[in-house]
Amino acid sequence: MENPRVWRGRDQAAQKAGLASGYPELDRHLPGGGWPSESLTEILTTQYGIGELRLLMPALAVLSRETPVQQDFSEPGWIAWIAPPFQPYPPALQQCGMDLSRMLIVRPGNADEILWSAEQALSSGTCAAVLLWPEMLDDQGSRRLQLAAEKGRSWAIAFRPLTARREPSAAALRLELHSSAQGTCVHILKSRGGRPTVISKLL
Amino acid sequence: MKSRACKPPALARDATPTPPAVQQDLPFPQAEASSRAGARSYRRAPAAVPVERLWFCIWLPHLPLEANRSSEAATAIVEEQHGIHRILLADAEANAAGVMPGQAANAALALLPTLLREERSLPGEQQALERLATWLERFSSFVCIADRDVLLLEIAGSLRLFGGLRELRQKISREIRELGFTGLFSIAPTPLAATWLARSGRRVCIRDETNLAPALRRLPLARLNWPAGLCEALTGMGVTTVGDCLRLPREGFTRRFGAEYLLELDRALGHLPDPRDSWRAPERFCADFEMTEEQSDRELLLNICRELLLSHEQFLLARQLGTQRVCFSFFHFKASATELRLGCARAERSAERWFDLLGIRFEQLILPEPVIAVRMRSGMAQPLQAETDSLSFQGKPGVQQRRFSITQLAERLIARIGDQSVQATSMVAEHRPHYAWRSQSLLADWSGTTLDAPAQYVRRPLWMLPEPALLPADSGYPVHQGCRLRLINGPERLETGWWDEDGISRDYYTAINADGRHFWVFRNRNRASSWYLHGYFG
Repeated sequence: MENPRVWRGRDQAAQKAGLASGYPELDRHLPGGGWPSESLTEILTTQYGIGELRLLMPALAVLSRETPVQQDFSEPGWIAWIAPPFQPYPPALQQCGMDLSRMLIVRPGNADEILWSAEQALSSGTCAAVLLWPEMLDDQGSRRLQLAAEKGRSWAIAFRPLTARREPSAAALRLELHSSAQGTCVHILKSRGGRPTVISKLL
Repeated sequence: MKSRACKPPALARDATPTPPAVQQDLPFPQAEASSRAGARSYRRAPAAVPVERLWFCIWLPHLPLEANRSSEAATAIVEEQHGIHRILLADAEANAAGVMPGQAANAALALLPTLLREERSLPGEQQALERLATWLERFSSFVCIADRDVLLLEIAGSLRLFGGLRELRQKISREIRELGFTGLFSIAPTPLAATWLARSGRRVCIRDETNLAPALRRLPLARLNWPAGLCEALTGMGVTTVGDCLRLPREGFTRRFGAEYLLELDRALGHLPDPRDSWRAPERFCADFEMTEEQSDRELLLNICRELLLSHEQFLLARQLGTQRVCFSFFHFKASATELRLGCARAERSAERWFDLLGIRFEQLILPEPVIAVRMRSGMAQPLQAETDSLSFQGKPGVQQRRFSITQLAERLIARIGDQSVQATSMVAEHRPHYAWRSQSLLADWSGTTLDAPAQYVRRPLWMLPEPALLPADSGYPVHQGCRLRLINGPERLETGWWDEDGISRDYYTAINADGRHFWVFRNRNRASSWYLHGYFG
């Protein structure tokens, strides 16, 4: 194991501190103690309105207000919403603590444009986080998003249907959300440098 | 002092015995004589010191040829005179073959069978002249189109900026040559004198008003652009130069030929004011590029657009302006023109940045037919807002170049997916949920400030439906996808907006279904109690 040619994924991921999610239980299971910013996160869910945004809100609120670590950009990053299924409601976002003056809502016309816009926003370096709802995302597409996120040091969050579960993906983190009357539970399907696990009744 | 009564004064008025009536007309009395002293006393009494003027004249003798030339081959411009096409102007190659102005077009063709004959186009010449005038505005704030082929610049104010007369003259002549025009230049203290001297074909530079009269005296009358009849009559009298003309008695000259030409001489010599209209370039840029044949090579079209954008940049640079919109039209032979519109978040002039946006859109552009001409029009010119760059002491150029600002990002997105699809949002202080926010275009005057709306203590849903959706009801409770909803919070009564058409009176509830999804539902108070879904707590 001391041989440097042996790849140890856990060491790599552990170097970067994650972005605190605001949910201590989730943070405990994520490598780096939080969301893997500067990479792609996939959230798989069957329906909207089960807490998929609430899960992200504490972290996004922090991102939209704080000055990023990069020295050459003194202003906080923007949050881009690409092809959201409904209108993100500004009063509610403000209640969650987000800075509305740094929100960009993009509604591209087709699947290609969604991916292209997300890539542009991610690699621009001005967006702290990019939320996207792609109509379809294949292995190659997710790799492109992952690379763009690394290039622009931006956090990409793709919302996908549960059917995408079996498809390969380059995402650093894949979560699956299930809702029940007791609350929403989170399955960590894939976590670079972490372990798959189930956190029940998180939300 | 000679008196006017005893002897009719000569046409040339010597500076000393100027009649009082004319003295009042002089705008800058004895401009040259006081210029040295004036330079020193300028600070003390600026208003009293006359402004020295210096006119730079550019005569474009080959304008008909240069404005309409379409290929490198030997070309001649033909014009119809009395039913016969005659050569008006031929280029050097044609001249070498013996093609001369005035020849019949057929005779010229016999001399040089490969000769390309172009019909003279006066509008084309005017356009070329206007383009040149616009371009010359960088050297002077006062440019005027004096004649069909003459441009005048007032350069006294520009000398210092451009490092002296010599440098300025060299710069203008070099750049005119680079633009593909042949110009003959003259510099004189009056516009008319400069024009005449330029037309005489000699490169004359007269800065001193005292040298003006001697230089003009030698000028043959044929160069003055006077009517042929007048010149003939004068030549018949043995009057061949301006100097001869000036020796004639003023009254007799006026009687025989009219006061008009006498006044012209006075203006040329600076005895009378010669106000000119300054050329004002249009505030919107519009340029055409016509191709000799239809083209469908996209690479070539992009290059043409780039050329147009570069001249657009020059146009804006001369005015220190920028623009937010640019429109390209690609003309086809049969199909109607294809339009491509670009927008920028803020006034922009950099050709590189416009080209970047163009590249994004051009990829998707479908051209129904090959293109024969490209036209570029720019939107309203606006004052340019300089972008503030961060001051970086640890220079990391590689890192900074890769990044671009949010406006640039928005521009790129808008260029590809349209203006309406990229929006920012802001809050509005309003109780009605659908009025409590608004989206704003990033291209509009978007300040990025958010109104501090009063904090709302009742939780709002993160997802909002564009229109409330009617829900079926089951014994008074809303039903969503066949599942009866349980109301867990509410009601929150919103009864407002009575002052306009869209008043509401609703009770909002938070509802939950068996899966634990949270809904935001409401019921109208004043009508039949149907349930509506208005949002999801995402």
